[in-house]
Amino acid sequence: MVTITVNGVRREVQAPTDTPLLYVLRNDLELSGPQFGCGLAQCGACSVLLGGKEIRSCVTPLSAATSAEITTLEGLPARWAKQKGLAAADAEKTLHPVQQAWIEEQTPLCGFCQNGMMIKATELLESNATPTVAQIKAAFTTSGPSAHLCRCGSYTAIIEAVQRASTVMAKGGKA
Amino acid sequence: MNLRKNNARLISETNQVSATNQIPEENEVNVFGAALSRRNFVKAGGALFVGFGVLAADGVKNVAHAATTRNSLDATLPESWIEIHPDNTILIRTGKSDFGQSTAFTAYRQIVAEELNTTFEAVTTVVMGDTDRTPDGSGAFDFLGSGMPNIRKAAAYTYQALLDLAAQRLGVAKSDLSVKDGVVSAAGKRMSYGDLVKGQQLKLTIPVKGDLTSIMGLTVDGNPPLKPVSQYTVIGKSFKNSVTATKVAAKEQWAVDVRLPGMLHARMVHPKTLGSTLISAGAVDKTKFPNAQVIVKGNLVGVVAPTEWEAIRAAQQVAGATTWKDWKGLPGNARLFDYLKQDADWKSTPVTKSDKSNGDVPPAMAAAAKKLTVSYQLPYMKHAPMGPTMALADARKDGTVYIYTHNQNPQALRGEIAQMLSTSPDNVVVRIFSGPGHYGRSNGGNAGAEDEAVILSQAVGKPVRVQWMRPEDFQWSTQSPAALSDVEIGLDNNGKMIAYQIDHYMPAMQDDRPIGAVLAGLPTMPAPSEKGDFVANTRNDPSDPWVYDGVATLLEQGHGTYQVGQKSSPLAVGLRDHSMRTPGQFQQNFPRELAVSEAAALAGIDAIQFRIDHAKEARVIGVLKAVRDASGWETRTSPHPAAKSSGSTPGSAPGSTAGATPTATPSATLVRGQGVSVMFRSETYWACVAQIAVNPATGAIAVEQVTVAVDPGIVVNPLQLKRQVEGGTMMGVSIALYEELMFDESGVTTRDWRTYPVLKMADIPEVKVVLLNHPETGKYGGGSEAANALAAPAIAAAFFDATGKNARRLPLKPEYIQTLLKA
Repeated sequence: MVTITVNGVRREVQAPTDTPLLYVLRNDLELSGPQFGCGLAQCGACSVLLGGKEIRSCVTPLSAATSAEITTLEGLPARWAKQKGLAAADAEKTLHPVQQAWIEEQTPLCGFCQNGMMIKATELLESNATPTVAQIKAAFTTSGPSAHLCRCGSYTAIIEAVQRASTVMAKGGKA
Repeated sequence: MNLRKNNARLISETNQVSATNQIPEENEVNVFGAALSRRNFVKAGGALFVGFGVLAADGVKNVAHAATTRNSLDATLPESWIEIHPDNTILIRTGKSDFGQSTAFTAYRQIVAEELNTTFEAVTTVVMGDTDRTPDGSGAFDFLGSGMPNIRKAAAYTYQALLDLAAQRLGVAKSDLSVKDGVVSAAGKRMSYGDLVKGQQLKLTIPVKGDLTSIMGLTVDGNPPLKPVSQYTVIGKSFKNSVTATKVAAKEQWAVDVRLPGMLHARMVHPKTLGSTLISAGAVDKTKFPNAQVIVKGNLVGVVAPTEWEAIRAAQQVAGATTWKDWKGLPGNARLFDYLKQDADWKSTPVTKSDKSNGDVPPAMAAAAKKLTVSYQLPYMKHAPMGPTMALADARKDGTVYIYTHNQNPQALRGEIAQMLSTSPDNVVVRIFSGPGHYGRSNGGNAGAEDEAVILSQAVGKPVRVQWMRPEDFQWSTQSPAALSDVEIGLDNNGKMIAYQIDHYMPAMQDDRPIGAVLAGLPTMPAPSEKGDFVANTRNDPSDPWVYDGVATLLEQGHGTYQVGQKSSPLAVGLRDHSMRTPGQFQQNFPRELAVSEAAALAGIDAIQFRIDHAKEARVIGVLKAVRDASGWETRTSPHPAAKSSGSTPGSAPGSTAGATPTATPSATLVRGQGVSVMFRSETYWACVAQIAVNPATGAIAVEQVTVAVDPGIVVNPLQLKRQVEGGTMMGVSIALYEELMFDESGVTTRDWRTYPVLKMADIPEVKVVLLNHPETGKYGGGSEAANALAAPAIAAAFFDATGKNARRLPLKPEYIQTLLKA
């Protein structure tokens, strides 16, 4: 048995330790944010944060995911609430500014890749609150194991959403 | 507000209450050819249900049957087009599956609200795709139905029925009623739609025609009065897509999330080649995978296990122990165009000719002062959804089959599964959930995993979830067919096109045979042939409407053939093809538009002005002028005065200099160019300008800016249309620069995102979208897929402008570009 911490909760998992984290999150913990896109760390659809850093859950064995807290798309609102010290009642009603910006900008088309896009955006904005367009492009293209791919071509909408989220986060979350 | 599936609103109350001024129970009221009747009065609830009846017309023989089975909608059931509820909420149903176009959740709600004279917000529920919960079938294409989608007519009939009801209830003539925001007023009295339906169950039966499980589904018939465009208040506004919020918040149920009790996970072991038959299937190593099981049916091999990881690993082990016959029946991508030109059979399939073809080409061409004779080539490309195909099937003991998946044409899938199992469509239900964009590959009903899941589920007697892995999604799915075109253009002394001939060659584009059924040797529709129906045919129809009506002599011909390898593969598969965004028209528009740009250069006339000079339709000229103004186009001849194919002389920078540049390249070594393209598709006019930079030393191309002008007639939702055009443009840039299926003599060698690179964020152009709203046209044209086709011919023309060299095939990879530059 392996114990991992996912979105603030310690979870005991029976799966073999070589099971990729993605299948544990999706099948054992029934989380639906991370998606199976390639199983090869080539697209980014499966991204989660491990200790605040984006990893590809499709190639990360369960045994390598015990060292730090895992945050999935489901956990972004609570992550933001904790960072901002919001009351629990408020936190439940609040999306992460990145998620809210994705809605405001109507970023997703099919949306299958957007889990990874929002995870990457969160990682970026936590380390660089006001990224330039060039820095945003670099983050989504060269900063991880592979570029984050969007087949529908929502890249412009992603950049605009990151910029919107950046503005909101810089004001402490007030839109 | 639940904007997805809401099955809690089904109304079962049937107790009668007294009422006056109601639609009489016995008599039907004729509403412009639809029939309005009251089924019952009810104590609570009540609703107006809009169902359908079947017209006795040609080609509808399957409908009467399908429409009355337990798994299809019946006008007497609440599962119908539109429901008006007593609380003034409205539910709509559509057989079309929204794959990210946003249409079902924005435009359809707007259209219904508009025709019903109510608010966008009143349409609270959209039920989409499920074969037992939606009425009309058809695929995730042409959502706006060239301006007359089914849902618009259904809403228009409903509105007239509501007016009839209101006239009765208020005791006034229909013409004396006025309606605003779902409230009917007359003579000082007011009733909401909810009030009108409260306490009764009303049924409106509207006429339809067609075949529910065919690729086109049913079409609403008749001509109900439509709301005048001048009175629109909801259409034209940028409403948000309601599904975006649930997807972003991780609250959407995707097809990949669906689980059933006792479900097994499966992975397939597909044949070694596209023509390999099975010699022997490997056995599971039970010491390592005690719960896994191999299923073999014909040449179909699958491995099931209770957990996904065991299924994956056991399938890998079984694959290693499975033996297949070898097969070499493909030309390989290096020899593809030699094969298509020299070996393919273009004679068995009749040549087709476009409607606008006119005049006698040879004498007109002989009279030309200048002639352009060129050929163009397009590679096989992949739809390449972000998620590989998957489906969960539950083949039950009572003979019914439920399929939970993500599919562009659920009713067609239902028909295909019924055919495969030699059972009635009554026994098949397809439920649809969100998933990755398919870009056309499942619009004929299947993407790969659906039928395989059914076969495995039937074999093990449990629900089975088949998920393809990334390599097999590239190697065993369909592709967008390769194509080549020969063009000849004659110019007179003034540089005017006096004769134009284009001959398009393309293997059959639409193979809807489910691959698992083919491998298992189960019944399917036939492979495409010259004898097939309008879908499964090798015919290559001219599908790129001609827009240069000033050209006196025109011949556009289509030549078709079998899919490559289809006839020699012992599996009868080979390189299966399927329509991909702007199908066929992309393969025809690329050579047409690039040839017109080359002709403009030969004539010494600016490429946009040249097009305007040959166009007659005001809207064609309108999009050209709009894109010229918005893009910073330089009106001049091509190539650019500073065009270079070698050295380091800088070109001037046309338009914006923002956007991508080839990585770490000093701007001084780049040359820049501009190109244009035009298209008419699904009642929408498009023009595109691409501005690019080329590094002659490396052959790298950076697309710096793409401007697209769109005239769809009425712009239904400006924000959603803009996002669709931006996305399509990115896919177009990706197609132009990177995308090409690689294959050898046995099968597809492309296997992942490294061997099938697509556009990455660092390499995107700045995209400008110009929306031209023309309400006076009274129609709304399609807004999504055509954007994909526009960029490539504009980029290739811009390459000539920058370098003076002609790139006549895609993709424009650096190796190809370097070859051109050195030539």
